[in-house]
Amino acid sequence: MLLQVDQLRMYLHLRRGVLRAVDGISLHVNEAETLGLVGESGSGKTMTGLAMLRLLPRDAGRIESGSIALDGRDLTTLTETEMVREIRGRRIAMIMQDPMTSLNPVFSVGDQVGAPLRYHDIARGAVLRSSVIDVLRRVRLPSPEQRLGDYPHQFSGGQRQRIVTAMAIGCTPRLLIADEPTTALDVTIQVQIIALLKRIQQDAGLGIVLITHDLGVAASLCHRIAVMYAGQIVETAPVRAIYRSPAHPYTQALLAAIPRLYATAKRLTAIPGQPPSLIDPPAGCRFAARCPHRMARCTEPPPMVDLGDGHSAACWKLAA
Amino acid sequence: MTVRRRIPLWLRGVPWLALLVLAVVGICAIGGDDILPADPNQLNLADAFRPPFWAANGSVGNPLGTDNLGRDILSRILAGSRISVIVAAYAIVFSGGIGALAGLVAGYFGGVVDAVLMRLIEIQQSIPSIALALIIAAALEPGLSTVIFVIVLTYWAWYARIIRGEVMTLKGRDYIAFARVAGVGTPTILMRHLLPNIFNTLIVLATLQVGQVILFEASLSFLGLGIQQPDISWGLMLADARQYITNAWWAITMPGIAIMLTCLSANVFGDWLRDRLDPRLRQL
Amino acid sequence: MLEVDAVTKHYRTRRGTVRAVEGVSFTVPKRGTLALVGESGCGKTTIAKMVLLLEIPTAGVIRFEGQDIATMARPALRSYRRRVQAVFQDPYASLNPRLRVGRIIAEPILAHERPGRTALDKRIAEVLDIVGLPAAAARLYPHEFSGGQRQRIAIARALAPRPELMVLDEPVSALDVSIRAQVLNLLQDIQAEYGLTYLIIAHDLALVQHFSSAVAVIYLGRVAEAGPTGPVFADPRHPYTQALLAAVPLPDPDHVLSEAAAAGEIASALSPPSGCSFHPRCPHAFAPCSVDVPPPYRLAADHVAACHLLKEALP
Repeated sequence: MLLQVDQLRMYLHLRRGVLRAVDGISLHVNEAETLGLVGESGSGKTMTGLAMLRLLPRDAGRIESGSIALDGRDLTTLTETEMVREIRGRRIAMIMQDPMTSLNPVFSVGDQVGAPLRYHDIARGAVLRSSVIDVLRRVRLPSPEQRLGDYPHQFSGGQRQRIVTAMAIGCTPRLLIADEPTTALDVTIQVQIIALLKRIQQDAGLGIVLITHDLGVAASLCHRIAVMYAGQIVETAPVRAIYRSPAHPYTQALLAAIPRLYATAKRLTAIPGQPPSLIDPPAGCRFAARCPHRMARCTEPPPMVDLGDGHSAACWKLAA
Repeated sequence: MTVRRRIPLWLRGVPWLALLVLAVVGICAIGGDDILPADPNQLNLADAFRPPFWAANGSVGNPLGTDNLGRDILSRILAGSRISVIVAAYAIVFSGGIGALAGLVAGYFGGVVDAVLMRLIEIQQSIPSIALALIIAAALEPGLSTVIFVIVLTYWAWYARIIRGEVMTLKGRDYIAFARVAGVGTPTILMRHLLPNIFNTLIVLATLQVGQVILFEASLSFLGLGIQQPDISWGLMLADARQYITNAWWAITMPGIAIMLTCLSANVFGDWLRDRLDPRLRQL
Repeated sequence: MLEVDAVTKHYRTRRGTVRAVEGVSFTVPKRGTLALVGESGCGKTTIAKMVLLLEIPTAGVIRFEGQDIATMARPALRSYRRRVQAVFQDPYASLNPRLRVGRIIAEPILAHERPGRTALDKRIAEVLDIVGLPAAAARLYPHEFSGGQRQRIAIARALAPRPELMVLDEPVSALDVSIRAQVLNLLQDIQAEYGLTYLIIAHDLALVQHFSSAVAVIYLGRVAEAGPTGPVFADPRHPYTQALLAAVPLPDPDHVLSEAAAAGEIASALSPPSGCSFHPRCPHAFAPCSVDVPPPYRLAADHVAACHLLKEALP
């Protein structure tokens, strides 16, 4: 097991109260496997990604409890220096949503892709240059040798995302966290980036945590999916099980609410209401207020029920 | 921690000291001579050059000492605040008003109007303000209205440039586009949509300018271009006391501290107001 | 109801002429929904702006009920502004944060009429009810509402002057998935109830298929393919439409995405490729494609596709 997160709790301490952004998350990722962290805005998925790298808002964010084990080593016990030197960019890399702002406009592409390699002492001088060209070639950036001195604004959105990916994989990390990597891209470019991620995973045995709200993108890339709602994981399953036989009412509702190409349904099933506040979340099941199967028992926090074959969901309906 | 929770949200972080200083200045400006501890114009040559009360030979009757003509410095400082407030009020209202209007029109309409305005702003900002003041003071009589006139002429461009920038950003907002689509007339768009949204910026600019205006007036009066005797101004006090700096350090230092305190308070208050008026912060 | 006829829009910039829209033609049938689909930079937003009279076409005509909107006399123009409304993409930027919701909704009404206080309040309450918000919402400010609710307010505002045509610019893109369904259902309901005509701009093809009766696929300022949604999606004839559809990731793990359908990058509108602007990326490109701009070939009564491949196929 490459990554194992156990009962992670991360709260943001704000003026108006304590925001329970990540409230008891447990998940795992194997080598050469992509785990999808699927949810809407405010579900805590981005925060989980940041928490795994301990990149939290300095004053407000704190990991309250839980463990994050990378190859057996608990990251919550490391010092900040150890995180910077050994983990971030080296063993765990991250690519984010907007390639426009992920790259520094005043440094050349060659500089930026080479920076992690230089920092982590992987290559120097001439070797560095050829490593940079090599990794840019791996992400299929056309004519990398000629473009080392070019600046980010001279590339298109899709090319920028490739460059950002090159920065991430340059140090051959064990795990890649991709936070909505294709949301800002056009659909024909999105296909290319999805294919790119698949390929580098196969080549390097990379584990990927894909954070997204797009169920289509998740289906095309992930081996397993964890559905998040209001700071908690409500269902985890292999990808086919999530789409063919979703067990949790939220997952079912989400799948019913999206328009599908070539489908015949003329009316989408909307989910009434809004997600709950994370500052003062409801005591029991957080989806209960919007759930069509709500029962009296739902005022208590539901247990995570194991449905076999790696499929589990937190719902009282399944516990019976 | 409990005490923090009892203070209502809008009162938290209020810069009390700054407000106190500004309040004192404000009260003196309105209050008139009667509230002052002593007559600021009362000559008393026998009492000249009395140091502040904590030094040898000082007395509590003149807490901050007296100047070369025996006038009580504390009372003169408090009386001088009147000028500062009047100048600040008029200067800010006029320069802010003209500048905001110009910025609004230039930012929204663009094109030729904007080009003309930008050239005017650039011309204005390339003339050193003191030189401008000298020219104008030579043309008109030195005095209160001249000071205000010079300040307005100097600062309107600053407002105009910033407001123009704001308006150019806001002009692209969807609610402006919607208003145009819905058929709302241009004057209504300017008044209803743009003006309220630049208002915050305007208030903050005005508050931050208070310090600058006071300094500017002091400089002008110091140079003899502004307030004239027997009116009292902090700048004038500095000018008068300059020659006695070696034997009466307090005569120049005290007004200087008054200027500094007022500017500092205005800036601190302006910063706080800017943070407060951001609508997103209201929710917290 | 709305007819766009060979409309062109060029912008002159320091770097050259940006050919944002080139000879685009389509019709929006009364009470129907036409979707303008395309990727970034294709010009669909510019077309919408021209329909809303926020921009003037460089060439071509836009007709509303037979009348050229660019040359309408003042009274007709005022009437157009009342009968055509818009809903924009970003619910956080489309409402003036300094005004109360009631005043925001009243704006398009006040631009054309002078109703009394009570009559106005009644209309505001009515339209708030239609979009599923309580009448008390009128006294609150936009920042007190969530994204989905703000979009409802924007819809209420567009509905208030009793329009006939609504231009929807990516109305749900900025909303959460579960809220999108709510707003889309609402839009469908009010269309049926009030006989509205919609022109919707979208990039989500699944949404387009679900929501619209006709579609126009735009690539680099030109119409690649246009027609009723059914035939266009079931049997796309233009390679770009085929590429777009093949690139949509379906929520089905067994669906295979083909990368080959549209290789390369989207060209720039500053220097579009010669001939058919899609030819550098097209897997079926042949000789005429880099030379001549393909005209829209008619495949059926209202289904057209601008591709040289069709020249051979059709009589």
